[in-house]
Amino acid sequence: MVKSVISVIVATALIAFGAIWENVKLNNAFNELIVCIDEINLKLEDGTASKDDILSLQSLWIKKKEGLHVYIPHTEIKEIDLWIAEATTYVVYGKNDEALAKLEVVKELCEQIPKTFSVRLENLL
Amino acid sequence: MLIIFIRAIIVFVTLIIIMRLMGKRQIGEMQPFEFIITLLIAELACVPMTDVSIPLIYGIVSIVAVFILHQLLTIFEQLSVGFKCVVDGKPAVVINKNGVDIKELKKNNMDVSDLIESLRGTGNFSLDSVYYAIYESNGKLSVLENENAESEEDLPLLLVSEGKINKKNYSLTELNENIFDNFLKENGIKKIGDIEVMTVSGSGKVYLQLKKQKYKITEIKLKEGVKW
Repeated sequence: MVKSVISVIVATALIAFGAIWENVKLNNAFNELIVCIDEINLKLEDGTASKDDILSLQSLWIKKKEGLHVYIPHTEIKEIDLWIAEATTYVVYGKNDEALAKLEVVKELCEQIPKTFSVRLENLL
Repeated sequence: MLIIFIRAIIVFVTLIIIMRLMGKRQIGEMQPFEFIITLLIAELACVPMTDVSIPLIYGIVSIVAVFILHQLLTIFEQLSVGFKCVVDGKPAVVINKNGVDIKELKKNNMDVSDLIESLRGTGNFSLDSVYYAIYESNGKLSVLENENAESEEDLPLLLVSEGKINKKNYSLTELNENIFDNFLKENGIKKIGDIEVMTVSGSGKVYLQLKKQKYKITEIKLKEGVKW
């Protein structure tokens, strides 16, 4: 019985640690992305956004998504990939309004994805 | 991660309740919760392996959740007999010295024909060939054999179960209404609904159990040369 109790404690501790780790990782990654998107959005509104700005967002996302594959479904990662790629193309061709719209979607996804991992009734059901 | 953990708990508890409600019929030789764990783990391990869009950690966390629940149930079962009864169920004595306990059979969602089928699995073809028959909590039937019971050459057929005639078996015995009505009169039976269990063997030996009465072994005259 002692062995069973210890195994329960260890397994529960692992799950709890994993849950906290996941929460921190997700929030940090997506918060960093949101800050970067906000900066680019301001530049797009001013008309000062350059190709380098959007490429820096894309490279930041590529760096972050490597770690995120462990926690979130790969289809959601692919979705952000596509929206960022579209926004990049619009910035390159100087279509700032369209790029803004695409980045708004990316921002919304970055805000919503971590919420789907929080302990809420709607997520449980 | 917590979401998967909690969802796994919800599915586990739901399955436990469902399996307990189903009674012993649906279970093999495992305890109910062991059966559930076997089902769950196979599925949990399978889905993330086949669907690459799902992170592998989802499957691992779910399996760990099931493992924790299994360990907790084992601990609580060791600590409390009452808890063990709730989770695993308790043995059901379906044949006692008075005969078949229909109430106990019904509690486990079974009828007399199911009992006879299980009895055959233990090598006993007649209801009076055992003193006691017990459905263990793992669904297996254990019997205390009646050494004094006569060995039979013919397979006993279930003729009446819970007041209802088994028409197929009735036709196999080739009994006609007169013989059957006489049999009922001789045994003081006003209507078939009063019979809880009645089996007939090829030699005409009858296992008769009336409602709220102890069973008795009697005889009925079958047509000559009737065999099944």
